[in-house]
Amino acid sequence: MKRIFSAALATTFIFGLHAQKSKIDFVEYDLDNGMHVILHEDNSTPIVAVSVLYHVGSKNENPDRTGFAHFFEHLMFEGSKNIDRGEFDQYIERNGGTLNANTSQDRTYYYEIFSSNNLELGLWLESERLLHAKVDNKGIETQREVVKEEKRQRVDNQPYGSFMASAFDLLYEKHPYKWTPIGYMEHLDAAQEEDFINFYKTFYVPSNATLSIAGDIDIEEAKVLIDKYFATIPKGQAINLYRDYLALDNDAFTAKYGKGKAIFNDKDFFNTTSKDGMAMINEYKKKETVIPRPNIVEPKLEKEIVDTVYDNIQLPAVFIGYHSPKQNTKEAYALEMLNAIISGGTSARMNKNIVEEKELAMAAFSFAFPLEDPGIALFAGIAAKDVEIDSLKNALDIEINRAKNELVTETEFQKVKNQFENDFYSANSSVAGKAESLADNYVYFKNTNLINEQLTVYDDITREDLMKVANKYFTKDARLVLYYLPKK
Amino acid sequence: MKNIILGSALALTSVFAFGQVDRTKAPVPGPAPEINIPEPIVFDLDNGMKVILSPNDKIPKVSFNLVMGSDPRLEGKKAGLSDMAGDLLMSGTTNKTKDQIDNETDFIGAYLSANSSGMYLSVLKKHMEKGLDLMTDVMKNANFPESEFERVKKQYESGLFSVKTDPSSMMSNAMYKAIFTDNHPYGEVMTEETLNNIKRQDVIDFYKKQYTPAGSYLVIVGDIDEAQARKIAKERFGSWEGGVPYEKDYNKGISPQGNRVIFVEKPGAVQSVISIAFPVDMIPGDENQIKLSTLNKLFGGGGFGTRLMQNLREDKAYTYGAYSSVDVDRKGSYIKAQGSFRNEVSDSAITQFLYEFNRITQDMVTEEELSLNKASMAGSFARTLESPRTIANFALSTYRNDLPSDYYQTYLKKLSAVSENDIMNMAKTYITPNNLNIIVVGNKDVMESLKQFDADGNIEVFDAFGNPKIETNYTEADISKTEVFEKYLMAVTQTSKMKKANKKINKVKTLKKNAVVVPNQAPMELKMTTYFMAPNMAASKMEFNGMVLQEEKFNGNKGVTKMMNQQGGFDTKEMTSEEIADKKKTAAIFPEFSLLCNESDFELLGVENRDGVDMYVVKYIIGKTTTTNYYNKENGLKVYSETLEVTEEGPQSITAVYSEFTDFKGFLFPKKTAQMIESVGMTATLKEVEINGKVDEKLFEVE
Repeated sequence: MKRIFSAALATTFIFGLHAQKSKIDFVEYDLDNGMHVILHEDNSTPIVAVSVLYHVGSKNENPDRTGFAHFFEHLMFEGSKNIDRGEFDQYIERNGGTLNANTSQDRTYYYEIFSSNNLELGLWLESERLLHAKVDNKGIETQREVVKEEKRQRVDNQPYGSFMASAFDLLYEKHPYKWTPIGYMEHLDAAQEEDFINFYKTFYVPSNATLSIAGDIDIEEAKVLIDKYFATIPKGQAINLYRDYLALDNDAFTAKYGKGKAIFNDKDFFNTTSKDGMAMINEYKKKETVIPRPNIVEPKLEKEIVDTVYDNIQLPAVFIGYHSPKQNTKEAYALEMLNAIISGGTSARMNKNIVEEKELAMAAFSFAFPLEDPGIALFAGIAAKDVEIDSLKNALDIEINRAKNELVTETEFQKVKNQFENDFYSANSSVAGKAESLADNYVYFKNTNLINEQLTVYDDITREDLMKVANKYFTKDARLVLYYLPKK
Repeated sequence: MKNIILGSALALTSVFAFGQVDRTKAPVPGPAPEINIPEPIVFDLDNGMKVILSPNDKIPKVSFNLVMGSDPRLEGKKAGLSDMAGDLLMSGTTNKTKDQIDNETDFIGAYLSANSSGMYLSVLKKHMEKGLDLMTDVMKNANFPESEFERVKKQYESGLFSVKTDPSSMMSNAMYKAIFTDNHPYGEVMTEETLNNIKRQDVIDFYKKQYTPAGSYLVIVGDIDEAQARKIAKERFGSWEGGVPYEKDYNKGISPQGNRVIFVEKPGAVQSVISIAFPVDMIPGDENQIKLSTLNKLFGGGGFGTRLMQNLREDKAYTYGAYSSVDVDRKGSYIKAQGSFRNEVSDSAITQFLYEFNRITQDMVTEEELSLNKASMAGSFARTLESPRTIANFALSTYRNDLPSDYYQTYLKKLSAVSENDIMNMAKTYITPNNLNIIVVGNKDVMESLKQFDADGNIEVFDAFGNPKIETNYTEADISKTEVFEKYLMAVTQTSKMKKANKKINKVKTLKKNAVVVPNQAPMELKMTTYFMAPNMAASKMEFNGMVLQEEKFNGNKGVTKMMNQQGGFDTKEMTSEEIADKKKTAAIFPEFSLLCNESDFELLGVENRDGVDMYVVKYIIGKTTTTNYYNKENGLKVYSETLEVTEEGPQSITAVYSEFTDFKGFLFPKKTAQMIESVGMTATLKEVEINGKVDEKLFEVE
């Protein structure tokens, strides 16, 4: 309580590995509508995590609507055709559960955790979100302000809080990783109802969703319930026909589809007795849903970019950034090992040399930010009091050059393997963590079983690979040097 | 043909299936699974350690959590000592250097940490013995090398420097200071000054006192069986020796008299971090604890459906999140409600917080709201049992806090019994909507809008470390500090030269003043009489209808205050040495006259424009009392006086406004004095002044 500062900033960036003790058994399959299902049974505690991952993140955003995927995530708690505003959360709480969601550059993830007798409730809630979410104007305007407050709280009002946004902005020219998921204020202000409708219809469809469930379930019983709530959602564009039926008045619907709403059954849309209605539903089932994905390849950096941010801070900081390999590649794993040697733990190089021996920094760390497309790697230091920022930058460069010019020692190499083994057993100790890892592994790599292969991915990496990856990516003449200096 | 039939049959099945789903109603869950809380294994060691074991072989890891049994200590001028000692624990032992400890720990992939209240080791089972070697070496043989002490001190300097822009540190410093004050370890905050006072020997002394097996706990969780745990506890920890644990009680937190606004400036802030906090009189295991937790849950204790979230986020969109918590601790408990709000709605947010605090004390909760929140709490409780550490932590808490042995086993039962009436009773017992600390860390621009929430309209400004901050919005004065006092003394003595003023004042051997005091809130007249006798004796008496309510006497060397208590008797208190020093320096017909004897006692801050009038501002600190006086630049007269006194019950502020300066026996005295003591106001009217009349010396006698 008397200590007034913490090393939280440094620990925020230590990324855990995804691993577990014995093999994690799971079953997975696709529904007819394209939704992917992953089920993992763990009966040790009577709880269950129900999650849906939508493969859409900030990189799918329109460049003049940044922050939209995350804003949209907030709106997905506003209710549905059968759930009024505010009720979503009440269903969870009344049954002793918890819920939340998060949005990254690459995906949006929703989950509920509760005692295992609530599995069906969780499926119903998620099916409501997928089939016919509903947002009114009050919801949009409220969440717009809430999201702006989130940005102020996490970014604008935090010392160095904008460094991620700045680094991504400067390191990318074309790729949508140029902006971070929180987006820009003016874009949040500009988002219109039309944008939400289009986003929902484009990305919130079964073929872009992965349902991942872990915990105290019976796999066969779960499958029956999943069929009930999700297999009944039709494939193709029929879902959007239905959503338009709900959203448009008869004139607008007729104008768009050439036929009036009367041919559909209001109580049971997909079960109309009208021949015309069924024909149209079947026609739209056949219309495939194509998820637009950016195929922009970020050009290689050609020069060293030097920039300065003047922030409300006391101590200057410096960030050195590089492009990094795609996640789940041999290069990405080599870089992860190298990062652990440079920055993982008290005995790591940056802490020993820069913080403790030279006393140049209050904190110094490095980390890679692996993403679906090539991400970034950063070296960072917050200067100790009265230290010139350039001497800190030089110290970072010494560590970077050492990684490029010298093999890591045998001891360091063994140490990092031991650390990863320890992390391997710590990760996925909760059913919620397992549900998320399984979904990520499927969506990003189409290899759900990666969860069981985490320790072996490092097996064929050598010390030479670490030096190679350092030389390939830590290029002196093509990188970012970003200073944070106190505002006067 | 066959194919077509088959196709449509399939289509029909799927349509049928869709038709079967009634999506309009939420499925009703079946009966909740039973919750089992396994009993941990508990045993004692001869040296006074209690070992709590929760075996679980799900993953091949084991953890050892060592918790010391001492109460926190007051550190005063060395605030932060325990934190620094904790951070230095792993900086070397008689056997190993810091680099060796760090390398060996990381090499086995273990996590080992230490702080002032204990140590934690998490390690793969196969490296357990090596991990325990490191842990117990630090525990028994830490030696705090000088070089590491100096290095960490420098790190702390950087850290303290960076606090000044970190809103969450600034908030927590201000909040703990406000609730617990300097007289409680929780209210002590390290500053650059206290850091400088800490010496290596202090750290060593602290470690020797604090790290002792008697009264401590060792919590073992993970892949280990009872026999092995008993063996390890005995061999690794059983031979450890040390002194007795420290025990000490402190204040239970101080409630402000009225609502008290504290402001901490964060330059350039785009949001205000707002915390509304106050102490509650509760220790862990109190029969009301679960009821109060339930109140907190529905008020703002997590989730999106709480009153604070619904009001401040979902309805008003003022914030990303607003939460409340009730922190129940053996040494001091408090409730706080907190959130971050954009500058423009900072005052509106406080209004809503206050509305919610009032509402919960006035309106009964509905059965629906209560049952939903109870269900939510029961669910959270069940979910925490996923971690094997929970069971061990339950046991630790049971022993540390002397809880009934079935406290956690019966938790759900007690929770389900909480009624609407219980919530109302809790609100009435613990929530005092007019005695709140309202703490705001934010942009200076919002400060003016916060005045309305303070009982006396005076916002206290704290620095980043929770200490009162002196505002420095002064322009330079054209005269010196002694000249300000002299100008004042010439004005009140109606003389044009200091020599004459001195002469006139020195002639006063006795002084008696009669005044009538009317409290703002009660239409009653109190009689106030003050006496002075040269050189420095002073006395005062407050009466109502001939009955003495309050009396103060100072005979030049010691003093006493008497105050009527509720039983009609008197509470007599002797003046502390600090109060005596204060009296010695200020007991004169005009305190400025005696203060002038020692120029280093006071300082001139500069000229401030208040309500359109330029004033010289002079400050003096004597003991724990800070006085700031404002003198009219034009005529030299004293217009305001602000006093801040740090008492046992927390800081007390007194402001006085002087007006209607009138000639009494050749001296100018203010006929009206409007005084605010915290939020209580009163006006004194001076009726009569007697100079060099007969004053009985007995009036000043201190028996």
